[in-house]
Amino acid sequence: MNNTPPVRIRVQFSKDGDLRFTGHLDLQRLFERALRRSGLPLRYSQGFNPKARLSIASALPLGFSSEAEFLDFWLDTEIDLQEVQQRLSAALPRDITIRHIEAVPNQAPSLQSSLLASEYHVSFLPEIDTQEVAAKLSALLARESIPFSRRAKTVDLKDLLLAANWQRTAEGLELSLRMKSTPEANGRPDELLSLLGLTAGSYQVRRTALIFNADEMTKHG
Amino acid sequence: MTNNQPTNINKKLEKILFSVEKPGRYVGGEHNQVRKDWNSVKTHIALVFPDIYDLGQPNLGLAILYDIVNQQPDMLAERAYSPWVDMEAQLRENKIPLFSLESKTPLNKFDIIGFTLPYEQIYTNVLNILDLSGVPLLASERTAEHPLIIAGGQACYNPEPMADFIDAFAIGEGEELILEISRAYQEWKRYPSPRLELFQALARIPGVYVPSFYEVSYAEDGTIHSVFPWMQGVAMPVKKRILARLPAPTTRFLVPNVETVHDRISVEIMRGCTRGCRFCHAGMVNRPVRERSPEEILTAVQAGLDATGYEQVGLLSLSSSDHTRILDIIREVYARFKDSRVQVNLPSLRIASFSVDLMDELKELRPGGGFTLAPEAATERMRAIINKPLDEAVILETARTIFEHGWLSLKLYFMIGLPQETMEDVQAILDLARRIKSIGKSIKGNRVRVHLGIATFIPKPHTPFQWYSIEDAQSLQSKIDLLKEGTRRADIKMTYNPPDSTLLESWLSRGDRRLGAVILQAWKNGARLDAWTERFNVTAWLDAFAACGIDPDFYTRRQRGLDEILPWDHISTGVSKRFLLTDLRLSQAGKTREDCRNTCFNCGILDAYGSLKPSEQEIYWGCP
Ligand code: SF4
Repeated sequence: MNNTPPVRIRVQFSKDGDLRFTGHLDLQRLFERALRRSGLPLRYSQGFNPKARLSIASALPLGFSSEAEFLDFWLDTEIDLQEVQQRLSAALPRDITIRHIEAVPNQAPSLQSSLLASEYHVSFLPEIDTQEVAAKLSALLARESIPFSRRAKTVDLKDLLLAANWQRTAEGLELSLRMKSTPEANGRPDELLSLLGLTAGSYQVRRTALIFNADEMTKHG
Repeated sequence: MTNNQPTNINKKLEKILFSVEKPGRYVGGEHNQVRKDWNSVKTHIALVFPDIYDLGQPNLGLAILYDIVNQQPDMLAERAYSPWVDMEAQLRENKIPLFSLESKTPLNKFDIIGFTLPYEQIYTNVLNILDLSGVPLLASERTAEHPLIIAGGQACYNPEPMADFIDAFAIGEGEELILEISRAYQEWKRYPSPRLELFQALARIPGVYVPSFYEVSYAEDGTIHSVFPWMQGVAMPVKKRILARLPAPTTRFLVPNVETVHDRISVEIMRGCTRGCRFCHAGMVNRPVRERSPEEILTAVQAGLDATGYEQVGLLSLSSSDHTRILDIIREVYARFKDSRVQVNLPSLRIASFSVDLMDELKELRPGGGFTLAPEAATERMRAIINKPLDEAVILETARTIFEHGWLSLKLYFMIGLPQETMEDVQAILDLARRIKSIGKSIKGNRVRVHLGIATFIPKPHTPFQWYSIEDAQSLQSKIDLLKEGTRRADIKMTYNPPDSTLLESWLSRGDRRLGAVILQAWKNGARLDAWTERFNVTAWLDAFAACGIDPDFYTRRQRGLDEILPWDHISTGVSKRFLLTDLRLSQAGKTREDCRNTCFNCGILDAYGSLKPSEQEIYWGCP
């Protein structure tokens, strides 16, 4: 048993390509194994079935790519951050890239508890008429509330959506969304888009930033 | 360029993956996946497990072949699995051929498609995969344009039901065969020549069975009249291949990005079994016993864990406690991995206190949960019939030791429908389970759980019981009812297979070539993914039998004549029919045979493979 305080490491990573189809729990397992392969001295939980301690800020919906995912993990001893990054990168599949790495104090709040919102970037297949989508979205947002039923309960997407903006790019019109990402209120772009008559697969979503609360005063991404 | 080149498939996939369950099954990209440039190698082999990824990905046999082929500089192996129902619908609707996970290449672009057939309930999936790949289902309809279709695996010791669909079967251990087949293919490909020449070359490789070279004729009563190898120079019988020395274990396992049934590395510690249980297909067809040394096993476990980051390892064999150096293996595994929090699975333990000691040696490395014992039958009479002799006192003592050593849950495996079984034998299963439960309670109190797993006996080819018929569904059902009622009262959990669900395995494992038409028809009737209880459609099969004018009971409900030519007689496992027959007679007389590593019964293995046997110092063989 190790009584020394653990070393807490935070990485920001991107998730692309085929790994978009690896869900949250599977991603956690993927990191556990990659960390083991890296040979870094991981801090394990106590008990009969010890697990490496790690925590991912927010579950990314299946099929989304991202450049702003966050992971905390804990090591038994202090190791040069550059070396940590090298060893972990070498053990990760090519569709995950570490974009930033830092040590954070052990007493800092957890990623999940300080996460407020996410920003997403939506691009559409060429056959989608984005003008029409934009018109539908404006009409939708003009409403008082936007009820959406999830399995057992109904949520108000109006409340979950913080901002929506269109940009013109070489590819055509693209949509930026900022949505709440807290354990109590988590907005999903695919829900909003489904109300505009868009089916999964007719657009691509990329998470571009996570916004953490005032203690950290940071927008990461 | 056809419109189904890899990049094109990628584009189409992009749309459909969003509308299927668990899309991660279809994209590959696992750690340790091998990607080679398609044009940089001569021969492209698709290795296919004909069920969904979740089940097929952890398959050890295929992992070994993948590794072996990809070690060849002039070959590549890529993988494919059955799509689940939703994905199949999407593929068909969008006219996307089934593709390999690595390069997303349609399977019909490969030179060779190799199926592993570990059991029979996946036969319709083979047809479905060929169809989705745009490959004609019937071997007779394929031309030199099409890939060579080969199959291997434990079910192939009776290849006949699949003879219409497979060009060549690899009988026995595949590690060398896969390369010999691929080399023969390369040789054939050098000059444009008819497919027949390829088949002739393949048939010359020991252990390769080309079914189209054998003519089967039938007698008036439907039994086989003769099996005639019409092509000159082909083997009769086709003798299975074995490796005298097991090669170094595979350690570069793929690490899936989505959950599968076994997330762990597997290291085979020993092949074969000398116990001689008469119902056991694996025990008969995988002889002789060959061990791996503790050093080799340890090195492989270490390398496998390092390469994957897995936290679990399975030490596989048919009877782990029989490895002559199992204690050394376990102690060394413990010493080496006690600090790295690796869980060790040690399945197939013999019923003896020694097995409990072994598990104890692993201390915190052993998997949590239960202990498993498989007495298979609950009366001494019945255990003599199946040749699994075991004193009841030993069973009870072992159970007691298990509870005393801290386990709270115990799984007991039994079979019903065994030859000469009576209701008393079935009642005895209940009685034994109850006694074990009360032993557990007396030691550990009410937290103790006893779980009863009931399997239905199917007389398998190449075993001493191969001539027997299968018990009728009604009488099996009454046995199940008795057990259900009894376990409910005793608060014992029971799992079992409804009689219907074992029919398919029975027909297909005991069938002959005429079943090819039935399999084809059943697939046309919509049968696929039959190994999934919720998908198995018995009507599709019964209709297929009816449409083909074949009585399914002919294969299952008929005691076969001892002088009958059995559909699998021209495939030799090395164990002689004479030995099987003697063993059947001993069984009928209630006589057992001891572990053959103590007394060799001359089963035929030494006659067939004795000349390959290495020196005692080099590797342990179970045969003298
Ligand atoms: S040859 Fe003898 S020792 Fe070897 S498997 Fe057969 S009976 Fe057993």
